[in-house]
Amino acid sequence: MTYFMLFLGLCFVLGGLAVASNPSPYYGVVGLVLASVVGCGWLLSLGISFVALVLFMVYLGGMLVVFVYSVALAADPFPETWGDWRVLGYGVGLVGVLVAGVVVSGVGEYMKLGVWTVDSGGAVFVRLDFSGVAMFYSWGVGMFLVAGWGLLLTLFVVLELVRGLSCGAIRAV
Amino acid sequence: MNPHAKLITTASLILGTTITITSNHWAMAWTGLEINTIAIIPMISKSHHPRAIEATIKYFLVQAAASASILFSSLINAWSTGQWDITQLTNPTSCLLLTAAIAMKLGLVPFHFWFPEVLQGSSLTTALLLSTAMKFPPITILLLTSNSLNPPLLTLMAVASAALGGWTGLNQTQLRKILAFSSISHLGWMTVIIIYAPKLTLLTFLLYTLLTSAIFLSLNTSHTTKLSTLMTSWTKTPMLNATLMLILLSLAGLPPFIGFLPKWLIIQELTKQEMTSTALTLALLSLLSLFFYLRLAYSSSITLPPNSTNQTKHWYTNKNANPLIAILTSLSILLLPLSPLILPTI
Repeated sequence: MTYFMLFLGLCFVLGGLAVASNPSPYYGVVGLVLASVVGCGWLLSLGISFVALVLFMVYLGGMLVVFVYSVALAADPFPETWGDWRVLGYGVGLVGVLVAGVVVSGVGEYMKLGVWTVDSGGAVFVRLDFSGVAMFYSWGVGMFLVAGWGLLLTLFVVLELVRGLSCGAIRAV
Repeated sequence: MNPHAKLITTASLILGTTITITSNHWAMAWTGLEINTIAIIPMISKSHHPRAIEATIKYFLVQAAASASILFSSLINAWSTGQWDITQLTNPTSCLLLTAAIAMKLGLVPFHFWFPEVLQGSSLTTALLLSTAMKFPPITILLLTSNSLNPPLLTLMAVASAALGGWTGLNQTQLRKILAFSSISHLGWMTVIIIYAPKLTLLTFLLYTLLTSAIFLSLNTSHTTKLSTLMTSWTKTPMLNATLMLILLSLAGLPPFIGFLPKWLIIQELTKQEMTSTALTLALLSLLSLFFYLRLAYSSSITLPPNSTNQTKHWYTNKNANPLIAILTSLSILLLPLSPLILPTI
């Protein structure tokens, strides 16, 4: 099980690498899908199944799908593919940065590349993540409203940035 | 800009700032910083000019990376100590990372490269917001965590900011870039003293906000953005150019004006802390910025520009000066004798 968790962690980093080294947004989305599926697996290993489910459905099934459709609408007809030299360059560079980070931070020696999996037991009758979400609607309603406003604000800002067609912000780039 | 968009962005800026400065949990502080970052993006890119879009992208990338670093530092601290209180940051890795992250947010050297270009790409009023209001939440976080910052890194960044703010500002002719470098060097003064006397940081920040607002609003009245325009702007607003000269000398830290008070107190506090060489270095480095403030003051008040003007003063009286200019200018020039009243209140 430990080795499986380690494999999931490796896949998460590889997914991030795929996002950062993408030659075109379509292939970057593949990296995002991989990273979020694997992140789901990590959350499941911690025992918080509800949050993992929410991540899957809302992030993958909602936002990522909407992103893919909107990118397809604003498509360029001949996107770059994986077989491009720039992708190799990005990949090598980012792997180099990662190795340097592990060496510099000393995490390799400190953690002995081991993994601790944690249980979320306790004396509660529902699972921790369920009651956490319930808290969001009762004591944590301020944070809930602020988080909701933050997301709505991001939507409005993106709409403000892309509106204007040929005289808006996007035409200048 | 569309009035609805303007309302949403302005309200979100106020909301984000308020959330960060009233928070005691790291998640709320981070949320406020992110809301601020997202909300100011349409304001920077308002003119849809390629330079403005580039400025927007640079601002967003740097601020998002800095917010993520703040979140990582609070997560590391939460992992090792189990609590999320902003004032109780104890893990050494967290402290180091937080110092670097706040430096990125504020624009301290070596994370200052984005600041002049972002200010140059935005309009004068947006540049005012970026220099004053958007600095307020990170300064608040610095004040709250002043016990947990990393002293050698902070002092190094502060002295380097005073140095580079002065030196790189010397060769500039664009006013927004000059004011960006002046902001960088003032931030250096603010952060050198935060561990020893955080109230002096707050005083420096408030007085810097006052002076910078007065300058940006005065420049906005005559729409001057570069040195050559400043030289001939006396024909449009002669009184404002005279007061602009005095405000610039105040910002430089010269004695009869209020800008002298923070430098005076910071040097005094540094000598009390046995850091006289740091105080001497900072004082000498602020001579560099004095040079370009003097150049600006000379350009704004001299009445003989290199080209000939057709008349001594323009006849049209349509000057939409912000009423705040009068208040801010008077305060910037005349506040020093009131410092015994200011000091107990901060």
